Amino acid sequence: MADTTLNKEVEGKRIRPPERGAPFNAVEDIIYRRRSVRYYLEKQVPEYLVRRILEAGRFAPSAGNAQTWKFIVVQDKKMIAEMEEDVLKVCRRVKRFADYIEPGSKHKEWRAKMLMRIMPNSFHPIPFTAMKVMGEGRVGVWHDAPTVIVLLADRRSPGDPSVDIVIAGQNMVLTAHSFGLGTCWVSFITPLNFYPKWKKRLGIRYPYKLVTSIALGYPRGIPDGYVPRETQAIDWFSEDGTFKVVY
Amino acid sequence: MPEYLTWKDRRKIESFYKLGEDLNLGVVAIDQDSCSGCGLCVPVCVGRAIEMVDKKARMVTDFPLCMSCGDCVAICPENSVKLIKFFELKRSFRYLDRGKPEPPRRF
Repeated sequence: MADTTLNKEVEGKRIRPPERGAPFNAVEDIIYRRRSVRYYLEKQVPEYLVRRILEAGRFAPSAGNAQTWKFIVVQDKKMIAEMEEDVLKVCRRVKRFADYIEPGSKHKEWRAKMLMRIMPNSFHPIPFTAMKVMGEGRVGVWHDAPTVIVLLADRRSPGDPSVDIVIAGQNMVLTAHSFGLGTCWVSFITPLNFYPKWKKRLGIRYPYKLVTSIALGYPRGIPDGYVPRETQAIDWFSEDGTFKVVY
Repeated sequence: MPEYLTWKDRRKIESFYKLGEDLNLGVVAIDQDSCSGCGLCVPVCVGRAIEMVDKKARMVTDFPLCMSCGDCVAICPENSVKLIKFFELKRSFRYLDRGKPEPPRRF
């Protein structure tokens, strides 16, 4: 039995799909206008708003309704700075060991190319460049966000645990943007796996595994807006048995 | 007139990347007349590809690490930033079937 006391306006009413070419509804608007925010106010996000965002994550779909996620909220500025410093240390080390952009020594380039073959996702040119820029101290990790939400997944959960946790994260991110807050997905938290001290402090031990993190805060300026995006090719097997590619 | 580097000009810049061989970076055009010099686009850019010169924003001439995310386009209060070229990886990292960039469409 649905609880009608929470929101009487929508409970028990059928939602009609929009007409052809109708303007965007509120949810679509939030999705299309969401931009990653990398410039935050120092103001802390109040606890009730963070709780409300986490609640949206709790109601995400998951494989087999297992709901195997764990969220860690870090609002301690000292701790965020410490985490950031340790991530930057790893970036600096990688930059010293392997660098194909500005090799410097003859070994750095082939090491970088070897790493790219072994771990093509972690050492893709884009994260590689990000590591380089972060190692130089030009960009921070969490961009001085006052709150960081760390997402951990349960290794024993059905299906793919990282998929479940990221669905929950997307729910939280969209909710945060509907409150006028800014968010940014930061997966550069994974270097903290190399530190036993952080594993102990954040409780990353079996069955939990560190997946990603979300920076959360009040944005400076108005960062949300429509921008062009690339239209990817979509293969379409039609009802009448024909095949087409749409963009 | 908007002032930006054309792609042909940018290929002439000497750098450590093999431009045009490994990757082509994104390009934004900033209208110098309507730019109010608020400076919001500078810290917002992850690649630090925008700088302020004489209270006007412009793309870094040296080697702008633009990944065409559009954050500068969205944050600009004067709407003077425009995304004109998307970044593109080549060789083994080339993306397939990208299509043309378009704003959200209503079907």
